[in-house]
Amino acid sequence: MGPISDSGSAKILPALLKNGFAVAAIAASLTLLPVGAFAAEPAPSAADQACLGCHGVAGMEKKLTDGDTLQLLVPPAPYLKSVHGANGCTSCHADVDIAKHPPEKNDIASKRSFSTAMTQVCRACHADKFDQWQNSIHAALVRAGNPAAPVCTDCHNPHAVIKGAAAEVDQVPCKNCHADIYTAYLGSMHAKSRLGSKDSYAPVCSGCHTAHDVKPVATSAIGLGPEQACFGCHAGTLEKHQEWLPNAALHFEAISCPACHVPNARRKVDLMLIDSKGKARGTEQIGVPLFDASASSDGKGIDAQSLWRLMQTLNKSGIAGETVLRGRLDVTTGPQAHQLADKSKALSDCATCHRKGSQAFQSVTISLVGPDGRRVGYGANADVLNSPFSVDSVRGFYAIGGTRIWILDILLALAIFGGVSIAVGHVFLGWMFKRFGLYHPHNGHGHPSAGGDDAPKPAA
Amino acid sequence: MRLYIHPIPVRIWHWTNALGFVLMILSGMQIRYVGLIDVVSFRTAVHVHNFVGFVLIANFCLWLAFYLTSDRIRAYHSELNLKKHFIGSFRQAYYYAFGIFRGDPNPFTPTVYRKFNPLQSMIYQIIMMLLFPVQIYTGILLWDVKRFAAQVDFFGGVRVIDTVHVLIFIAFVFYILVHVYLGTLGHTRTAHFKAMMTGYEDVEDETPAE
Repeated sequence: MGPISDSGSAKILPALLKNGFAVAAIAASLTLLPVGAFAAEPAPSAADQACLGCHGVAGMEKKLTDGDTLQLLVPPAPYLKSVHGANGCTSCHADVDIAKHPPEKNDIASKRSFSTAMTQVCRACHADKFDQWQNSIHAALVRAGNPAAPVCTDCHNPHAVIKGAAAEVDQVPCKNCHADIYTAYLGSMHAKSRLGSKDSYAPVCSGCHTAHDVKPVATSAIGLGPEQACFGCHAGTLEKHQEWLPNAALHFEAISCPACHVPNARRKVDLMLIDSKGKARGTEQIGVPLFDASASSDGKGIDAQSLWRLMQTLNKSGIAGETVLRGRLDVTTGPQAHQLADKSKALSDCATCHRKGSQAFQSVTISLVGPDGRRVGYGANADVLNSPFSVDSVRGFYAIGGTRIWILDILLALAIFGGVSIAVGHVFLGWMFKRFGLYHPHNGHGHPSAGGDDAPKPAA
Repeated sequence: MRLYIHPIPVRIWHWTNALGFVLMILSGMQIRYVGLIDVVSFRTAVHVHNFVGFVLIANFCLWLAFYLTSDRIRAYHSELNLKKHFIGSFRQAYYYAFGIFRGDPNPFTPTVYRKFNPLQSMIYQIIMMLLFPVQIYTGILLWDVKRFAAQVDFFGGVRVIDTVHVLIFIAFVFYILVHVYLGTLGHTRTAHFKAMMTGYEDVEDETPAE
């Protein structure tokens, strides 16, 4: 996929240069709105007064080709207070030929096509932010044709944008699409801290996901650990955990922070296919049909033996380098990941996970990275974590006790049974030989007393 | 006749090792079988396992240093004759499996420099020169997986390392049970245990029949 088309800017930007002066000159001669109407706000320029004379009045709207209606109303007060108020309407709407405005025919296919084209206008001033957005999950979804993925104006109302507003808990634009996650966030320590003190630097959405280069935290942390999301504020966390948590660094690599810091969350193990450099394998490298063919028909997902065969196939199919599975314990849903609790409530009982049958290891997915950067997960049977096949197929993920291999338990039982049986059987045989008169001590080195008493044996 | 066949460094090593093995097995079982065994917490068991593990490593070094600097090392390879060694091992195994019940004499009589019978010699060399060092190595890797990540990855990952560690643990559990029982097969039930405490073993004056 290429970058977002800039065909819109090809029309808009030249028009800005061509018509800017004309628009300003004509607008300056118009005084359609009394200046007193904006007494409480910064006074609009004469040109903007001309625009707002019509567009500041309720009822301005336009029928679009797809039958939808585009609101053309720009409430004057919010606009004049916004960071764009001082720029003037023509700074963005340079394509408007005021001499022919409104045009007799100006077909706009849809709101979506219009707002997508207008991203190029934003880009003219906010090139850095636009470039960041191009690398985001949002842009990837737009390129993939997702009609709900946001462009600039879906998050920032261009006619009312206030600097810093998006960082206010109650005004974050993310909640418009991610309402469930936002609700979960409101119950978190982060939101409580933020709402409880003006001086709090607890994060809103952009604090962890960044404002424009928006990526899922879990994806951005592949191979890097969660430090990008959490350690930016929580410096020294590893050292504090090392004071009480054995193998703390390994826990940090293999377990997401919410897996312990959201105590009531349901957990799952995500086994990600990575290459020898720790980079996630993409679906285009692996091939989705291979996974579909491996998934069992009983609806429980890929079983241990199928996964082992799959890994064998992947490492013979000519894909550059070795492919291995790296496991990570995480919460099962996005909203759960945002319900971070006070640290005093975080899980610290090792037995929660380090026991057979722990809930943490009952749900397993095997994931790749899709073309849009998002994970593509395939369900797997929980036995992939404790089958003898896992020694080869899931080498990089192991939780003592929780994912122990059952065949080793049988071996241990056999070892104990065998060791005790040898002793008991030996004593019993010694007793039997004596009982039936088959024991005849010969002259020699101290005779053992299998089945006998503790008295020294006399030399014959 | 009493022979001084267990010098004091060997006895200190042996009983430290014995206590350490028991603690390692018990704490290892607690670590692996939380829910089935709940004597102490998982974390306490891990700390005990780690601490005793390092004590055993130091103890192993003591044992190695003693034998490398002592002529007693001949106990482990008194005679490099494989054919004779295997025949001796077979005789010893036959004795334990059958002859002992009939009252046959033990085919092996210890001396100061040859205190292990052929079976013991073989088993102890496998344990002390192969299994124990591998157990120490895998244990250290598991003690801090991230610190030794390169080596863990080289050998195939943490699950591979742990599986090797557990397999040797299982072998040691079996060994300890059999070892303790065989320890009761001296001329009295407690003779070998007393010998390992005093250093002196009672042996027959006469040369055993070959």
